[in-house]
Amino acid sequence: MVLRAEGLAKSFPFEDKRIHVLEDINLSLESGKSLSIRGDSGCGKTTLLNLLSRLESADRGTVKWQDFEMNASKQCASKEGVLRAHFLGVVYQAYYLIPELNVLENVLIAAKLSGAYGKEVSDRARELLSNMGMGNKERQIPGKLSGGERQRVAIARAMINSPKLILADEPTGNLDERTGGEVMELLLESCDEEKTALVLVTHNQKFAEATDETLFLKEGKLQN
Amino acid sequence: MKVKKFLLFCRKSEIDHAFSMKIHWTLYLAWKQLFPSKKKVSFFSMLAVIGVALGVNVMIVVIVFMQGFQEKFRKDIIDAQGHGRIIPWKSQKKWSVQQKQIEDHNAITAVMPYIQGQLLLQKGEFHSIPFSMGIDPNSGNSVLQVDSFLKEGFLKMNAHDAQDITPVPTIETLEDEVVFVSSQVARRLGVRPPSIIRFNDLNISESEGVGMVNVLRLDPFVESAEWEIIFQNDSEFIISSDVLADQILINLTDDPKEMDLGIPVFQAVPGSRPFKKGDRFKFHVFKGSKFEVFAPSMIEKVKADEMVPPREVKVGGIFEVPWQGFHTEALLGTMRFMQDMQGDEGRIDGFYFKTMKGFAKDESHLAKCCEELESKLGDGWTVIPWFVENAWFFDLLKFEEYLMILIMVPIGLVAAFAIAIALMTSVLRKIREIGLLVAMGGSRFSVGFVFCLQGFIIGLLGAILGCSFALLFMRFRDELMGFIVKIIAGEDGQVGVSQFYDFYSLQIYYPWESPESLNTFLSFACFAILVSTLAGLLPAWRATRLKPADSLRSE
Repeated sequence: MVLRAEGLAKSFPFEDKRIHVLEDINLSLESGKSLSIRGDSGCGKTTLLNLLSRLESADRGTVKWQDFEMNASKQCASKEGVLRAHFLGVVYQAYYLIPELNVLENVLIAAKLSGAYGKEVSDRARELLSNMGMGNKERQIPGKLSGGERQRVAIARAMINSPKLILADEPTGNLDERTGGEVMELLLESCDEEKTALVLVTHNQKFAEATDETLFLKEGKLQN
Repeated sequence: MKVKKFLLFCRKSEIDHAFSMKIHWTLYLAWKQLFPSKKKVSFFSMLAVIGVALGVNVMIVVIVFMQGFQEKFRKDIIDAQGHGRIIPWKSQKKWSVQQKQIEDHNAITAVMPYIQGQLLLQKGEFHSIPFSMGIDPNSGNSVLQVDSFLKEGFLKMNAHDAQDITPVPTIETLEDEVVFVSSQVARRLGVRPPSIIRFNDLNISESEGVGMVNVLRLDPFVESAEWEIIFQNDSEFIISSDVLADQILINLTDDPKEMDLGIPVFQAVPGSRPFKKGDRFKFHVFKGSKFEVFAPSMIEKVKADEMVPPREVKVGGIFEVPWQGFHTEALLGTMRFMQDMQGDEGRIDGFYFKTMKGFAKDESHLAKCCEELESKLGDGWTVIPWFVENAWFFDLLKFEEYLMILIMVPIGLVAAFAIAIALMTSVLRKIREIGLLVAMGGSRFSVGFVFCLQGFIIGLLGAILGCSFALLFMRFRDELMGFIVKIIAGEDGQVGVSQFYDFYSLQIYYPWESPESLNTFLSFACFAILVSTLAGLLPAWRATRLKPADSLRSE
């Protein structure tokens, strides 16, 4: 199992009360499989991804990456960054490309963060960009790219370390239907080729249906 | 173990690290954020680097110039006072034993006895009471650089059809009836040494390639008169003058210095065309001034109803001592002249001495040498090295240097504040990127380190550029200072400024020439790097405090 979450719960303080955003979330994902999570805006989808990627700590419950329990222990905390760099790839709605770096450098920075340096990495980055149809724009800066192109670069960046799991937070949210479709197709194809598990948060029913499993987040709980 | 296994599992298609892209991502990203891809120049980075560079440049240039001034003053003082002074507790009449003892010290290269006091000079209605010193002309030049103080062509004459060719006097000119006076005394009394002009229009040798007749020596005993040189053939000429009883025949192979006092020593310099019979050169000599000298010892004689006429002396030369601390109104005469004036035959007031190069350079060596001399000479003698005698002056210079540093350090701090503010703004602009870097596996510390590195890079580039600017300034200092002084003070002001701050002859050292200069360069470069890096700490700390999930949500 690539990812397993058990009994996850998260609440946020609001004025005098606490708002319970997620309650008793259980999910698991096998290698090479994909899972989509749908839900209304503000229902806690992004919070769930943050818990799964350990950018936020859950109030209760456990997250396991490849049977390795990610908790707040010192040993785990000290290695969390390294584990995240190798295990996870992230794709966001707003792409978050670094404007000072060109397309190739944006992909390579993720590799460098995982401690991977060298010609092989460059070759892999070029290959990924080529697969994404961005082979001829590797020296472009993000400011000169369209939304669809930026998201392709973001996907290549997420794939560069051959992660076991990709968390995609509404990757087509800023794109039109046709471009969004192309990007989703690329994302699913890449995950399939690399045998990478995918957790996709989306509003789009069609894209959600393209994944192996679809869950719905409502009132803090996951439903089929 | 579990973590290691997990990492190995994740990195099964792992990458060989020994390839070209070896720069750590923090340094790579810091560099790229300062100098982004596809941009020739980053405005912020350029301003920050230039700001630091200018600060470093100013600090280095000022301190290097201060060191140059110190070096110049040091040389001037040693030229005017030797490496040290040996003073008897009481005036000494028997001192030859001590002189021998001093000379026998292995570090001593030259010793010169001296006698000093105050004399009253009178020329007509004008008076001067200069600091007066009697020196030994034979050893004087080896301890004090008297010849270098004597001025060339002082009170130079500007005749319409003649040329002032007065030679620079030397210490050899000094006789018991001849003195050198400082330019201040010469101005006050209106006196000058003898001078000589060569007429242009009467020289028959005007055709091209003809040689010239110069004057090698013009002693203070010459009288005002016209002098003529007529060539007999290509190797002989006759000197004639109204003040000469007979004409003098000179052969070009004769030693020109073998000439009686009162007669100018002429030197014929052949040109491309040899001299020929009838070549004629005409000169006019103006005799040197005389003035009367009174000494305090004369008062005692007058009290005893003795008739004491003032002593008349000739002006042999005019000197200027570059060391500002030396008396501006001064007179140099022979020891015997001063002893006579003091009415104290054989008396000396001490010795000036010079040591070997190694001793002079190292103050601790010189101090040790002085100690040895003192113990050798026994009670009754004090040995003072030059740096102790002028400690007040060097303390003043050091104080000025520290004051300069104190004033200039805020320049560096201002640059640091500017960098800190710019980097802080950068952190605020890049909140989501910071969140992303953590989401991609960067530790918060590493992300903060990126901003710290940016400060370091700015400091490093600023320091390199600043040092380069400083080297350029040092290389072209004459041109730059001339330009600046000309702009501020105009052409006339330039002369005045250079009297006090002689940038043109100032010896300053490049870092590869002197450890002190190297130290200055390294100190200010390190200071700039340190301050810039520290300026990056605050934004770095701010970046590490950001929660990645909140950063990614920020708008």
